[in-house]
This record gives sequence, structure tokens and C-alpha cells, in this order.
Amino acid sequence: MRTIAIALTLFLIPAAGSAVEQSSAGATSKLDALLAAKDEHGKPIITPEERAYFDGLNDNLKELLNQAVQKEWITRPEHLSVLLSLGLRPQKMELLLQNNCVLCHSDSGNQSADTLFTVASATTTSVSHMNLKEVVEDIHFRRGVSCAGCHGGDPTADLGHDFVKEWPEQHRQKNRAWVVQFCTRCHSDPAIMHQFNPALPTDQLAKFKDSPHGQTLLVKHDDRAPSCVSCHGVHGIRPAKDPQSKVYAQRVPETCGACHADPKIMSGFTRADGSPLPTNQLAEYRTSVHGRALLERGDLGAPACNTCHGNHAASPPGLAQVSQSCNLCHSANASLFDGSKHKHAFEQHKWPECGQCHGNHNIAKTHDSMLATGQGQLCGDCHRQYAKGNPECIPTANYFHETIDQMDQARTRFISVSEKLAAKGLDVDPINNELTELGDTLKKSRTYVHSFSRNTFQQVTAPGEKAVQRTDALVTKAREEYKYRQIGLAVSISLIGLLMLALYLKLRQLEK
Amino acid sequence: MGWYYFGGITMFFFIVQVVTGVLLLMYYQPGEATAYESIRFLTTKVPFGWLIRSIHSWSAHLMIISLTLHMFSTMMLKAYRPPREVTWVSGYLLFLLTLGFGFSGYLLPWNKLAYFATTVGTNIVKSVPLLGSWLLEVLRGGQDVTINTLYRFFAAHVVILPLAFVGLIGLHLLLIQRQGMAPPIGEKVAPRGMKFFPSFALRDLLLWLACLMLLLTLTVFLPYGPGIPGMDWELGEKANPMAPAYPGIKPEWYFLWEYQLLKEFPPHLFGLEGPQVCLLLIAVLFGIWAIIPWLDRRAYHHKPSPAFSDLGWAAILFLTYLTLAGWDIGGGGAGSEAASIRNVARICAWWTLAAGTVVIVVRYWLYEDRWFILTGAVLLHVALHGLVGLPYVLAGLISLVVAAIAIAISSMRRSPADSRNTM
Repeated sequence: MRTIAIALTLFLIPAAGSAVEQSSAGATSKLDALLAAKDEHGKPIITPEERAYFDGLNDNLKELLNQAVQKEWITRPEHLSVLLSLGLRPQKMELLLQNNCVLCHSDSGNQSADTLFTVASATTTSVSHMNLKEVVEDIHFRRGVSCAGCHGGDPTADLGHDFVKEWPEQHRQKNRAWVVQFCTRCHSDPAIMHQFNPALPTDQLAKFKDSPHGQTLLVKHDDRAPSCVSCHGVHGIRPAKDPQSKVYAQRVPETCGACHADPKIMSGFTRADGSPLPTNQLAEYRTSVHGRALLERGDLGAPACNTCHGNHAASPPGLAQVSQSCNLCHSANASLFDGSKHKHAFEQHKWPECGQCHGNHNIAKTHDSMLATGQGQLCGDCHRQYAKGNPECIPTANYFHETIDQMDQARTRFISVSEKLAAKGLDVDPINNELTELGDTLKKSRTYVHSFSRNTFQQVTAPGEKAVQRTDALVTKAREEYKYRQIGLAVSISLIGLLMLALYLKLRQLEK
Repeated sequence: MGWYYFGGITMFFFIVQVVTGVLLLMYYQPGEATAYESIRFLTTKVPFGWLIRSIHSWSAHLMIISLTLHMFSTMMLKAYRPPREVTWVSGYLLFLLTLGFGFSGYLLPWNKLAYFATTVGTNIVKSVPLLGSWLLEVLRGGQDVTINTLYRFFAAHVVILPLAFVGLIGLHLLLIQRQGMAPPIGEKVAPRGMKFFPSFALRDLLLWLACLMLLLTLTVFLPYGPGIPGMDWELGEKANPMAPAYPGIKPEWYFLWEYQLLKEFPPHLFGLEGPQVCLLLIAVLFGIWAIIPWLDRRAYHHKPSPAFSDLGWAAILFLTYLTLAGWDIGGGGAGSEAASIRNVARICAWWTLAAGTVVIVVRYWLYEDRWFILTGAVLLHVALHGLVGLPYVLAGLISLVVAAIAIAISSMRRSPADSRNTM
């Protein structure tokens, strides 16, 4: 009996194994058939690149694809081609293959054009929410929120569009205010947000409500005002630190400019004084010292729009806030200005402090000539008009300008002299040390102009003026040293020459 | 016969090296925190410190130039023939020691330029078959160029090499004193039958004074060298082993030909690594050079040996092309790196061909030489590589085969005549 049981087991095991193999082979052959399918011209539908991508997939992903084919989520080779053409990394491919919403909405065989994901080249600038390449990059998708997180339903169910009740499907194009409420269901809830990242703020809605954007959208119900998706995108939302994010520092100007540089969108919007809102900010910013630093040099420390205007609470800085915005980086200049005579005068005239001389969006690189007092020059023009009775103004500005100009010219001249002396083999370390001090003083002097006080300015420039004198003395000394070397050489050569002559004469005498 | 004076001139520069070297030693402190600083202090604060360092550097380069001229003139005049074979070998070893002086002294200021050039230079020994890694570690005192490398280079530069050099130079001078100057082939005595003292010694002294004048003038007007890559000793920044190597690091000019030859070899050749084959070739070339007195059978029997004169000129042209290419002559302004390499090969080939033509014409008309096979082979090599665009090694092999056939034909034609002469 025992022998029969063993024999039966031995007989059945290979049979069971064979059944599993047959079933698996069936599924694989289905997938293989899709992979090998050809179009009416006999050309393979799966391209060699897609095939190579498939061959490189790990066993788990191949099995997931198998299952999708077996369950008939993927029935057409064209559909398989779309998925393989994405060339996703394994983790993203796994997320995608477990999401029936994506599988169904990426099949052009059973979806109309307006509910179908496209796989056109990644359109990072467009607000298109149907690009599959963008969808798989979405932070929500990657953190597991997926389609159902917003749209409801069950992404693992076979079929279903069980949308959440709050989803205003019928009126969503008419009133965009719902978007803000919709996103902040999670983003204003610390309990939810802390599950993902405890450092994420949850006060965006509170800030937005008070901002001009929020007032326009939520109170005036003007759909031209931005909602969350206007800046962050819809599907394909990336973290702000991702260089491809629409709110990454270097892309912020372009994102804000999408509306603020468009006269059509901005028409009818006015400033507090009733004047129309300009649309040249982006163009001006691009040419400014800040714009060049951020956009051309890639200096992420340089300010973008949101650095001065804020993010969710974005608003134009009022008179008092301009200096506070600048103060964030230019603190030394700002504190000197606060203690200067100009502070009071500017307040009386209701001038924006820094912006009055430096401009706002078009801030150019400062130049020493700004201190000049001639016609058409900043200090001179302003003082002739507004401080006629003050005899101190023009001479003080002239003093600032001349002092800085002299130090700058001296420094440029000494750098060139130092290089020449170094090439002659002279010790230029002491000269270079003085030049470093002169450079530091120059920087400091340009800052201390903002004290608008001759005494304060003089205290800072005094070491620089002394450095110029010391450098001058060192250069003279180095030149004398070189002259000494040349004279020494001439004397040595003369002596050696005399010795050679004597030797030559002796040689002639000996050989005679 | 001015060629006879280059030995004396080399001797003068060596004496200058010893004197200035001892003076430098009074201030130089080898060490991570002191090597660079002490040289900086010496050149900026110590009275005439700049002069001593600059003379030492200029004299080092001039010594190598005069030594090379001395070696080639000895070779061309066949002064190595019996009984002066040992003089040749001792001189050859002195030449190698001088290169060792240059290589070890270069690192001592511990500046950025020297550090990376030494890293690149020492890295070459890694390709020596079997012993490479061990040799590299012995040379560097570890896996990398560190302060331990500086210590052993310092020891070599001021103790080991000078001891060996003094011993060899003693032998070299003793042999010259015993055997006298070598007369040219076919003459019985040295030129004009000059006595060593006072005639030759006083002339030498006159030349030494002229060299001193030249040295001082160069030192005052070009204290950091002529500004040619590989001949520049401005101190610059301190070495920083953690900093990344910067592009365009090149060795001193007298090692440039080896550096360029290594670059010309492909990564793999004949089942070996390219650099290994290249090092073997360099070893063979150096080996041939050392035993020339025994190879040159005609000179051995005091007969004219035009083939070996031609070998000397071929060696000069071979080194000329590689050194010019190592300097990237004609490399500026070309778009891509590949275009730049092709351009350098082309321009350097033209210069070498021009120099080769001048050499052949002068030898033909002035010295009535008629044997140009090896010079021709080098020029063919350069033309095939630089102008036709063949790889350097392939062009070299073709030229070698052509030269071998030409030599075989030439020797077959001469053999009957030779046999008649000997009879």
C-alpha cells in the first residue's frame, strides 16, 4: 500500500508541475504573441527598443505584465507598445502596472481621445494633465496617492468610476474656486500631511485667502485668478526642489509670467492707486542683475518673484515692505539706510526706499557712476530737484564718488603692475596683501555709501586710502630692486668680461 | 671642432648645480608643512635666494642641453670606439643619473605643478611587466604620491644620486685624462694636437666664464624660465593631494618624447598592454644606445661607419617629432580633440620633414655622406603618420620593414666590394 502511495505521488507530482507549466506557458504565449505581433505591412508593432526594454525587465515586472495580459487589461500590441515605450525605471513601472485606471486609460482601443493618456514627449511647460510620462513623475502618484486619491474609486478593481461626492463634475469648468478647497482637504490637514512629510506647511489656504490671488478667485469668483493647479500643474506635480517643477526657483519667473506677462489675462486688473497692472515685469526681471544671476548663472540664492512677493500669500510689497524684502539679503545696506538722513526724507516723499534709486524688477548692476552729480545722473538729478537748499548734498555725493573712483582705479592699476613685477621674479606678496585690503575696503565703502554720512564713510575708506599709499611705496621699492638686479648683472658681466679678456690674452701669449 | 667643449660645459653646469644646491640646502626643509613654505621664504625673503634658485633651475636645464649635445657629438664622431668603450658607458650612465636628478628635483618645491607632473611621471612605471606595482610603491613610498615620496626623492636628489654621480664622473674624467681626447676617424691625434694644459684648460675656462655670463643674464631677465611648457619653474600654488588633477599636465621637456610615445601607443598591442610594449621599446632603445661601441663594428676597426652616423641623426629626428608633438605644436584653435591631435601630427610632421631635409642636404654636400636609410625611415614614419594619417605604431612598423629591406639590399651590394677590400 505504502509503495503504491509513493508511486502515485511520484506519478502525480510531475503531472501537477506540468499543469502549472501549461497554464503559465499559456499566459506567456499570449504575452509573446503581443510582443511578436506585426502590423498590416508586416512590420513589428513592438519596436526593437521596446523589446530590449522588455527583455531587461526583472521577473516580477514580467509577471505583472503577464497578469495584465491574462486579465485582459492589455489585449492589443499597440497598448503594450505604449506602456513599454515609456521606458520607466522598475519602481515606477511596478506602480503603473498595479494601477488599473492607468492601464485602462492608456488603451486607445477602449478610450476616447479626451479620456486617454498620451505619451507624447514630456511636456513640462504645458498644463496638460493627460500625459502619461508626466503622470508617473507626479509626487502624488509616486507616494501612492495615485488616481483614486483624488478621483475616488478603486484602482485595483476590475471596473469602476466611484467618484467622491465633493467632485463637482458638472460645474468644474465654470468656477475654479473648488480646486483650492479640493486640494486643501489634504494639504491643510496636518494629520494627513505629516504622514508623508512632517516638514510640509499646512497654512497655504489661510495665506491664499488673504492674498490678492485668493481674494480674486474666492471672493470675486474671477476665474482668471490662479488656483493651486495654475502654478503647480495638475498631473505631473513635482516637489518644488525638483528642477523640472513649475515652482522650482529658476522656473518661478516663467510660471508667474504665464499670466503676469500676458496683457490679455491682466487686462482690467489694477494697482491700489487705480493704475493698470503692468505686464513687463518678466521682461524687466530677465535683464536685471537678479534675473541674470538666477536664470543665466544658475545662482539659486538669487531672488525669484516669490522671494519678494511671497508664495501662497503673494502680493505686491507696500512702501514699507520694499525695504524689508531687500533687507532679507542686503541687510548691511538696509540697516545703514535706516540710520541715515534719507530714511526720513524718503518717508516724507512716500518713496519706496531701495526701489527709488535701484528700481524693482529691472534692478541693474550698481555702478560707481550712480554717485555722480552731473546732469542725468542719479544723485545729482534728485538732489538738484528735492534738496536745493542743502549745500552739503552735492559735495558729499562728489566726495563719495571721487573717493571710490580713486581707490578703484588705483586697485586696477596696481593689479596690472603686480602681475608684471611677479613675472620679473620679484616678491609681490606684500603688494598683493595690500591689494586684498584695498579690495575689501572698496566693497565696504560701496556699502557705506548708504549711510549718506561723510564721517561714517570716511571711517571706512581711511584704511583703503592708506593701503593705496603703502602699495605705492611697495611698488617703488620693487622697481628699485629690479633696477638693482640689472645693475648687479651689468657689473658682474663687466667683471667676467674683463677676466675673459685677460685669459684670452694670456692664452695667446702662452701659445706664441 | 667645437664639439669637444660640451663635456667641459656640462661639467661647469654640474659644478654650478653642486654649489647652488648646497646653498639651497641651507634653507630647504623637506616636509608637508615646510617644503613649499621654505622655498617660498627663500625666494621672497632671503637676500639673493631668488638668484640661487633661479640659477639652479636654469643650470639644470642647460646642463641637460649641453650633456645631450656632448653625447650626440661623441656618437657622431665615433669617439666611443676602442679603447674608449668604458668612457662611453660611464657617460651614458651619467646621462641617466642627470635625468634622475631632474626628475627627483622637480618634486622638491612641493608645488601643484610638480606634484601632478610627478604623479603622471611615476605612474608610468606601473606598466613595467610583473614588477610594475612593486616598483611604483618603491618609487612613491606608498600607493600615491605623498610626503613620503618627497622624502625619498629628497634623499635621492641630495645623497644617492650625487654619490653615484661623483664616482662615475671621477671614472669618466680619469679615463679621459689617461686616454686623451679621441681623434676623428682617420686622424692620429686630437684636433690641432692641443695640450690639455694650458691650451685646452684655459679655453675651457674661457667658455665657462661665457656660460656664467649667459646663466646670470637669463636668471635676471627670465627668472622662471623661458615660458616654454616643461621649462617653467614659477612656484605657483602649494601641492594639494586632495585637489583634482588639472588637464594638460606635462613632464619636463626632456621627458616629453617618452610621454608622447606612450600616448601614441594603443591600449592593447600584441596581446600585451600598449604601455607595456612602449616601455619595452624604450628599454630596447636605451639598451642599444648603451652598447653602441660594440655594435658599431666598422668604427671598432677604426673605419668610417656612415650607418651609425645616420643612426644618430635618425635618433635626433625621432626625438624631435615626439617632443614637438608633446608640446602640442599646432594644436591650438582646432575644434574637437581628435581634430587637434590630427593637426598636431600634421604640423609636427612637416617641421620634422623640413629639419630632416636640411640634415640630409647638409650631410650630402658638406660631409659627403651617402648612407641615409635610417634617417629616411624616420622621415617615412613621420610622413605616414602625420600626413597620410596611419596610426603611429603601424607607420613605425612599415618604416622598419622598409628600412630592413633597404639595409639588406645595401649590404648585399657592398659585400663583394668589402670582401675584395679585405683581400
